[in-house]
Amino acid sequence: MKKRNKTNKNTKKFVIVPLLMCAAILLVSSTICFPLLSDVFSIGSMFLSDKQVDYSKSFENIFVPTANDSDTVNAKDVDFPSVNKQFGELKIKSCSVNAKLFFGDGKIPLRNGVGVYAGSFIPGYNKTILVAGHNNTYFNGLKNIKKGDTVKINTSYGNYKYRVTAAKIYNAENKKAYDLSKNEENLILYTCYPFDTLGITEKRFFVYAEKVSGPKIVGQYE
Amino acid sequence: MKKILTIAAAMIIICFSCIAAFAAGINSAEASVLSNMRAPANMKGNTVYVPSSYINQAEVHFNTIDMTSAQAGKINSIINQGRAYLQNTGKASIKELSTEERRTMMKYASDAAAVLNMSAAAGSDGKNIKVITKNGEVVVDDSTQVIKPTGSEVHFTIYITVLTIAGLLFVCGAAVILARKKNNIYEETK
Repeated sequence: MKKRNKTNKNTKKFVIVPLLMCAAILLVSSTICFPLLSDVFSIGSMFLSDKQVDYSKSFENIFVPTANDSDTVNAKDVDFPSVNKQFGELKIKSCSVNAKLFFGDGKIPLRNGVGVYAGSFIPGYNKTILVAGHNNTYFNGLKNIKKGDTVKINTSYGNYKYRVTAAKIYNAENKKAYDLSKNEENLILYTCYPFDTLGITEKRFFVYAEKVSGPKIVGQYE
Repeated sequence: MKKILTIAAAMIIICFSCIAAFAAGINSAEASVLSNMRAPANMKGNTVYVPSSYINQAEVHFNTIDMTSAQAGKINSIINQGRAYLQNTGKASIKELSTEERRTMMKYASDAAAVLNMSAAAGSDGKNIKVITKNGEVVVDDSTQVIKPTGSEVHFTIYITVLTIAGLLFVCGAAVILARKKNNIYEETK
């Protein structure tokens, strides 16, 4: 009888209590500590993965540097990029940002450069250009951006300059951060905030810029 | 003569292919579809619109194709039917639509996409719409949010692995502490 009681006590001490504690820790860590542990997960993801990680640089590049600095370019002369194609480059000298510019902002573009959201437009279209980039790679330099800095976008059909007008921090789901229906050329760059943080963050750092120069695409509406 | 006819036929096919390949800009047919997409629907007094991101993605795609007026007519007719259906659901917003109603709306989207040899698909709940060309090119993608996660990529498996390791370490630690306590008690009683 005594022996059975002892066994029961041991089971409680060595199995049930640790298991309950373990479950409690898992619950707490998955709900509260996830942001804190995200660095560990991110680093871990460099070594372990359930999928074959695609580090390929396999994307189509239609970007050919041009010296075209005219005021207009005909839509028929523009090779409209499809998703995952590199169609230009984005440079901000003051922040040491120098990245390939893709159409689309999925894994391939963001792994190899920065990407224009496919629901926005390419430069010269007189509409919103929404560009995403990772905070720990190509857009890390945005932390040093200042009002008045120049953003250069070079494409095969023309070279563009934009002047930074503001930088703001919004939650990722805040739709006030962008206006995709604007009929005025405006460039929005964004990345995860805070900078130098690995893993998921709720906030985004947005940079707003106005067009200074570059050819306007004409003749798109026949 | 046969050879000449064959060459002529080949030349015509190549010419038509070239027109499609070099299409750029928005023609009047495409403009009419975009304009129709921008028109509001009235849901029980509330005005609802197709999201700008959808219309923009359509416009971007229209820049790469040449839609005919016949195709535009068919698409506009489907859009009008869809709008009428939406207004007749008696719901005050898109969020209130039932799964069945969402599926019906998806059928309209799918029929419209089919006019341009594209396919439209959505999740079982009628959300996460994707429109894809027959070449696999994504034209509209609603499965991801506008603002993307731009931090490091985190795999769910890594999350579970790290937590499991942490859990196991904790169990081992707890077992060691309890064993030591037991030994101490044993030594004290001894």
